[in-house]
Amino acid sequence: MPRRPNPTGKLMYADHPNFGCRCLKCAVLQLSVHVDTTPVQYRRGRARLNGVHHNRFGSVDMPHDSENKKTAYVWDKFVRGFHWLLLVCIGVSLISGYLLGATWLQLHYIAGTVAVTLVATRVLWGGLGPTYARFSSFITSTKTLRDHFDALRAGTASRHLGHNPLGALMVLALLASVLGLGLTGTIALGGIFKVGPLAFMTSFKVGSLVSYAHAFLATVLMWLIGAHIAGALFESFRTRENLPKSMVTGRKQIRVGDHAAPAKKAKPIMMTLVLIPLLGGTAYGLTNLASKPGLGVPAYPLNKTYAAECSECHIAYHPSLLSTVDWQNLMATLPNHFGEDASLDPATVSELTDWLTANASETADTKPAHVLSLTNPAKPFALTETKFWIATHQAVPAATFSRPPIFAKSNCAACHQDTATGRYLPTNIEIPRKPTS
Amino acid sequence: MKILFIALSGLIVAQPTAANPARDAILKSFASEAGVSSFSAAAGKEFFQGTHQGGKPESPSCTSCHTKNLRNQGRTRVGKVIEPMAVSANPNRFTDPEKVAKWFRRNCNTVLGRECSAAEKGNILTYLMSQ
Repeated sequence: MPRRPNPTGKLMYADHPNFGCRCLKCAVLQLSVHVDTTPVQYRRGRARLNGVHHNRFGSVDMPHDSENKKTAYVWDKFVRGFHWLLLVCIGVSLISGYLLGATWLQLHYIAGTVAVTLVATRVLWGGLGPTYARFSSFITSTKTLRDHFDALRAGTASRHLGHNPLGALMVLALLASVLGLGLTGTIALGGIFKVGPLAFMTSFKVGSLVSYAHAFLATVLMWLIGAHIAGALFESFRTRENLPKSMVTGRKQIRVGDHAAPAKKAKPIMMTLVLIPLLGGTAYGLTNLASKPGLGVPAYPLNKTYAAECSECHIAYHPSLLSTVDWQNLMATLPNHFGEDASLDPATVSELTDWLTANASETADTKPAHVLSLTNPAKPFALTETKFWIATHQAVPAATFSRPPIFAKSNCAACHQDTATGRYLPTNIEIPRKPTS
Repeated sequence: MKILFIALSGLIVAQPTAANPARDAILKSFASEAGVSSFSAAAGKEFFQGTHQGGKPESPSCTSCHTKNLRNQGRTRVGKVIEPMAVSANPNRFTDPEKVAKWFRRNCNTVLGRECSAAEKGNILTYLMSQ
């Protein structure tokens, strides 16, 4: 334990500022009675050491854990809540995006929406929160960043009560990538599935292209998370402080030589006054946009003759599922239609052909119009023989298709609740149970 | 009163299998086309329940889709429900001449690989009406 300076002025072994430190370097220093010239400081009756201390990694300026129990409240409740809630949202997004497949799309975009909302709120708190929540406390110049990096390499980097410059850069990168994922995800969702606030203006082509950017950003985010965890662990070992625990308790030790930011008061009332109209207005605006009809989504009712004639043996397939050429060929070969005579009188054939070709896949911008219409020339008009159909139905066992109440692969409506609209959203799939009787 | 009520309800239940002008007209047109005065329900049953050649291998018999019990629903090859063929179970059967013509054309071709004769159609219709 530290003692008062020897009144003789001569520094003794036990006067060494690092007396009691068990690290190898300090032990050697203590044995050689080499004493740092910095005087021991007193504050409120308790010693605060200002001596050279080494940890296992050879860094300096780190007083020993046992020497100082004073802590500062660094991460406020909002910042901590934000951190762990964001972790959950991103975890759900990554799992649903990479592992669960398109049928979990709804969970994916709900988790993503919550994540973006959290980030937006955090950005606001970065201006209105307490000291260490504020961007002004941790956004630094590139020079400071370089200096910190160089100091880390030299082993002389000091400690920051808030985010250190590298950690701050990570915070910004994480926030930006979540916002980027939200934006690209919304464009992809709007363009491909015609769902969400951008569905009314985003083409399938744009949505598909942007979905690559979304996937790329997701990879970037995963690397960032890896680096963030590595950085937090590194800093925890370097400064001998459990930083993940600090993100739970909000407290960090106060040590001499810390970089502390000028204290700022949180403005929770201001925050509430800004946040409620902002979130409410955004939600209202986005919901309004999302209720607009999607770009290129067929909205007309089925032709009555078509619905009556073509649903006698099978479901009435939406005209946007096949190309003009496929519909023409199909209508011309009705007497041998998938191995059955489905012939119609010439007047009806002509009426239906006109209506089908006028609403064929080329006129729609839905995903099925783009991918299901790419029929296999060897199996004309068979939607269940397209590459996309085969790829997306692999997980369904063959027996499921033949059992009641499904009976056949061609019976889309058994599982796809929105078959009649021709949209086939992955969120509208429900494989029916076997009838009990 | 009660007896009268039972008798009346019996009449109502019996009504569907009884004569229907549209159905009779269809049957009459088959008769005049085939040049016969009456049809045989037994011959119709044999034709309907029997196995045929020349059509599609998936459907060698009428019963492939309509099932052997005509009062039950049948299923198309892709699982869509076909309402019962027996007039007693489905009173609207065989009242639309165009529909009758369309389905005889299609199904005879699918099961037998040829059109059915007027006599065959008449026999089948008589059999289905008797059910």
